[in-house]
Amino acid sequence: MPLRRKLADFVAFLFAGAATLFGLTWLVWILWTTVKQGAGALSLALFTQMTPPPGSSGGLLNAFYGSAVMVLLALAIGTPVGIAAGTYLAEHGRHSRLAATVSFINDILLSAPSIVIGLFVYELVVRPAGHFSGFAGALALAIILLPIVVRTTDEALRLVPNQMREAAFALGLPAWRVTSRIIYKAALSGIVTGVLLGLARIAGETAPLLFTALNNQFWSANIAQPLANVPVVIFQYAMSPYDEWHSLAWAGAFVLTIFVLGLNLVVRFFARRGSK
Amino acid sequence: MGWVAGKFGALVPIYGTLVTSVIALLIAVPVSIGIALFLTDIAPRWLRGPIGIAIELLAAIPSIIYGMWGLFVFAPFMGMHVEPWLNDHLGPLPVIGMLFSGPPIGIGLLTAGLVLGIMIIPFISAVARDVFDAVPTSLKEAAVALGSTRWEILSRVTLPYTRSAMIGAIFLGLGRALGETMAVTFVLGNAHDLSPSLLMPSNSIAAAIANEFAEADGELYRSSLIALAFLLFVVTFLVLTAAKLMLRRVGGTHGRTN
Amino acid sequence: MIDVMERRADEAALADEPPKIDIRGLDFFYGKTRALTGVDLAVPANAVTAIIGPSGCGKSTLLRTINRIYELYPDQRAAGAVTIDGRNILDSRHPLSALRRSVGMVFQKPTPFATTIRKNVAFALSYYERLPRRDLAERIEDALRQAALWDEVKDKLDTSALSLSGGQQQRLCIARTLAVRPEIILLDEPTSALDPISTAKVEELINELRQRFTIVIVTHNMQQAARVSQRTAFFHLGELVEAGPTSQIFTNPRVERTQDYITGRFG
Repeated sequence: MPLRRKLADFVAFLFAGAATLFGLTWLVWILWTTVKQGAGALSLALFTQMTPPPGSSGGLLNAFYGSAVMVLLALAIGTPVGIAAGTYLAEHGRHSRLAATVSFINDILLSAPSIVIGLFVYELVVRPAGHFSGFAGALALAIILLPIVVRTTDEALRLVPNQMREAAFALGLPAWRVTSRIIYKAALSGIVTGVLLGLARIAGETAPLLFTALNNQFWSANIAQPLANVPVVIFQYAMSPYDEWHSLAWAGAFVLTIFVLGLNLVVRFFARRGSK
Repeated sequence: MGWVAGKFGALVPIYGTLVTSVIALLIAVPVSIGIALFLTDIAPRWLRGPIGIAIELLAAIPSIIYGMWGLFVFAPFMGMHVEPWLNDHLGPLPVIGMLFSGPPIGIGLLTAGLVLGIMIIPFISAVARDVFDAVPTSLKEAAVALGSTRWEILSRVTLPYTRSAMIGAIFLGLGRALGETMAVTFVLGNAHDLSPSLLMPSNSIAAAIANEFAEADGELYRSSLIALAFLLFVVTFLVLTAAKLMLRRVGGTHGRTN
Repeated sequence: MIDVMERRADEAALADEPPKIDIRGLDFFYGKTRALTGVDLAVPANAVTAIIGPSGCGKSTLLRTINRIYELYPDQRAAGAVTIDGRNILDSRHPLSALRRSVGMVFQKPTPFATTIRKNVAFALSYYERLPRRDLAERIEDALRQAALWDEVKDKLDTSALSLSGGQQQRLCIARTLAVRPEIILLDEPTSALDPISTAKVEELINELRQRFTIVIVTHNMQQAARVSQRTAFFHLGELVEAGPTSQIFTNPRVERTQDYITGRFG
């Protein structure tokens, strides 16, 4: 074989390895930075004190609380609607005009940049109300979550073998019972995976919250008013000139990263185990 | 200064969005193909899972984390080590020198493009992996039987066979890059001047909206930002729909969501 | 196995009784494509009727009209009459749930539900009948015994059905069907996905069950049809070519096409 061909092959081999190393290096660099900066800023105060005014130290309690409230509310809104829509698409996707429309709208939502969704909720809820609110934030997160749940539910249900469906119908059971008792049980792990991955996604979203929940320096449990949350706090504190705020931002970033990546890994681990 | 609604005002964000996306693709596409080749062909089986997951974790990291890392670590790195080099060695050259002139502050189009590129690698490489695996082994075996090298199989069998899916993957990455807000907001600067140099700060549509919306006083100002948002929405939707159409043949993108 | 003389006697006895299922002029369409043409077939009670023929000849299609499972798919349509105990069940006024309760179906690939063995068997039963716990447990045991599975699973009723072997899963599906006490059992190539030992067990089961149920079995395995059935119907290209006592079909068919298929000339 001529040297040129061998050389080209060797170069390709090296390139592939280098590309992989390239990708992995960034991952390691980013994670290492987050751990180094964030772990150093961890303290018990993080979980017991509120966000401080510039120049002083404090914690992120109100931000953690606000984020938790909004994410859970978004899950409460988005999950049932998403599963219902996903079920409808899976069972009727081939035969119905309405299903094609729903699928199309879902695709639009799925492809919309999160900042656009934030603006949409701003126009829909924040402007008429005259003020930002935790509820608007939760709504924006729910809209981001929704198409993820719809898509994964649809796919999980389609994976259920048709013969299982037929076997259940052949026993004479009505459609709703077949779906709720048999199909959902078989597709459960796929649906749960989708919801958890969606959760990991919305927990880290910043842009939509900028226009909906904004932020709140103080402790607040009122979702009808601006609500503190981790991503926006990180954004504001990181962009500021204060060192204490930077430090808190890294601590928040660290906690957020652990949560999101941890959830991702756990979900993947169980998804692998389940698909035996 | 201040924002002026109208064509001039929107020019910088649109320009910035395009340039950063192009840089991102220039980085991400070859790297993703390389990673896909590595994972489907070169790596031993036991290594494929862990490395594959590691690459996918790049997609799971929230974009604000990319932003923080970019602002506090990567941009200074670029400003201290990379950009001065570029400035000194490529700056004086005719024509392309324009791209690399200006003070090396780290924040700017080049840095933002690089960060964006890293962010979209997992999306493109995941599709590439699926598609490379889907090439019928009979085709690959026939090429091997004819004495082809690994590179020749990739360039003459795999890539041509998967061409439309790869284009779909590129569109997928592009769609993701266009809409990215937080990472870019941190490292692009919030400039209102147009400059041809990649080392200079600029703006992107998403970053402009994020930075300016809170301060937008007046209906006209706000409406023009919303108009920009709508433009971004439409373009992103078209790009991602094109991607979906081209990826239709690939058996499901396993729940891939941006 | 059944003695030849005994078989001939069984088959002769069947000829005198009215059929359990009487199919007249049955046509079937997948969209615009016609899959069955003018099928006339009488299926006797308390016996096994085998439907044989090359793939694509319409065997499964015929089976699926008897419990109207094809209605899950909007572009599939049947015309004609399928009469069970004197009532045409193809009539849209005929209650579907009652039909499917009295006509059970077992599919080619074992399809246990993703739940425990106990719940699999109880599943349809608890929908039709509100039974106190003890009665329910008895019915479950009864069904599992009839399916010759009780001894193998009695200690693990609350474990996942998916942990059973293929043959056991198929017998579980049979138990699930038997639990609601149908009159007719449809078997669509029930052993083609099973190993030889499980196949033998299922065939033994079929032999026992036929005393109390009307069984229709679709099979591409002619030896199986010869082993388990008393009547056989041969289909080709959507038409019923010939039907009659099993021993006659396999030793002395009247139609040449049947002869060709039996001897392996095609299919």
